[in-house]
Amino acid sequence: MHEIKWYFPQSIDEALDLIKLEGVIPHAGGTGILKSRLLEKIKGLVDLGKIPINYFYEENGEIKIGAMQTYNDVIENLQQIAPDSILIKALSQAASTPLRNRITVGGSVSYFPIWSDIMGPLIALDARVTLLGENASIYDMRYFAKNRLLRRNSLVKEVKFEKDRWRSYYFRAARTSFDYAAFTLSILAKKDKNLVKDIRIVVTGCARKFIRLEDLEEELKGKEIQHLNFDDIIKDINVDFRGKRHGSSEYLNHLFQVELRRGLSKIFGD
Amino acid sequence: MKGVFKINGKERELTFKPHHTLLDILRDNGYTEVKEGCREGECGACVVLLNGKLVNSCQVLAASVVGSEILTVKGIGDLHSPHPIQEAFVEAGAVQCGFCTPGMVLATYYLFSKNTDPDEKDIKQALDGNLCRCTGYVKILDAVRLAIKKMKERENEKV
Repeated sequence: MHEIKWYFPQSIDEALDLIKLEGVIPHAGGTGILKSRLLEKIKGLVDLGKIPINYFYEENGEIKIGAMQTYNDVIENLQQIAPDSILIKALSQAASTPLRNRITVGGSVSYFPIWSDIMGPLIALDARVTLLGENASIYDMRYFAKNRLLRRNSLVKEVKFEKDRWRSYYFRAARTSFDYAAFTLSILAKKDKNLVKDIRIVVTGCARKFIRLEDLEEELKGKEIQHLNFDDIIKDINVDFRGKRHGSSEYLNHLFQVELRRGLSKIFGD
Repeated sequence: MKGVFKINGKERELTFKPHHTLLDILRDNGYTEVKEGCREGECGACVVLLNGKLVNSCQVLAASVVGSEILTVKGIGDLHSPHPIQEAFVEAGAVQCGFCTPGMVLATYYLFSKNTDPDEKDIKQALDGNLCRCTGYVKILDAVRLAIKKMKERENEKV
């Protein structure tokens, strides 16, 4: 193993200067770096532990989560202000207790591994990412996830989304609870008396990494809930998963349809 | 690299390589109660409490946690003065080969530090990062329930 150089910046500006160095990458919790065996490929690590991006607060109706918050930090903080949040459901199922104490929001959003449990809910919540550095700006999560070059010489500062009351359903397709998810399904919905007022459906782990089922969302909006026929709704909804070790594309698509039906039924009631 | 760590209440200056994990430096310096299992964060044999939080020491780069407080299973009790959780694991017959036991004990310790009245769901979630290849987990779950009972009794005695 070659020698890796560590840097310990005390400020955001210092960290931004350091990540411009060739072969140097940011270090948050370190789980993604170790899992991807990146140590063999890099020259240095910039530890983000001492810069002020570990926070969680609500402001003007928005929840703001600093990049260094761990999954368990987010679960505990959200339980105080939004106990029904889909993020609690999703993150509670991610990895394991000790790993949830190390995996950070910033690291997960930057890497977006295919098994990620955080990206589906964040996309469904219409979250935005605040980037600092070369590409400093606030990005829609979907745009950010599709444009990996944005991460160049840039740091994720925070993720934010509106604090809103949604009915939610989250499913991770895995063979055992600790297994990486083959795909995840996130559903957020609002009812207005007997009508579907709003709905968002996001699938991750598919061939296109993630997909928001906007056509289905539009079809459902404004519909009378009592007249929804879930079997009809799902029969033509197909997602390309590509075959993976969890199962064939056909199997995963069938599982997705079953869970989509189950999720819609649970949210709106059969 | 050099760094000071507070391990089981005692400050120690340790020397390590930049790519070493917390697991590496603990075992290299005599803390062999921290077991090396999968090195991928899946088995939980290497868990320690890092500043009060349960972590897989194989998934923590040592350089990033210099100055931290680390608690291993020997830090909560030993043969002569066992912690109620350690007693419970013995009494419930929850130890077979013993390789996973330090992790199971620390996961229970962490659970009780967060929640003094856990239900079955809480207990199972607290142990979700710890694998045992010998038992069917039945005795381990018995041990955790017994440990919780013992610790509650101890808390009540204090009051």
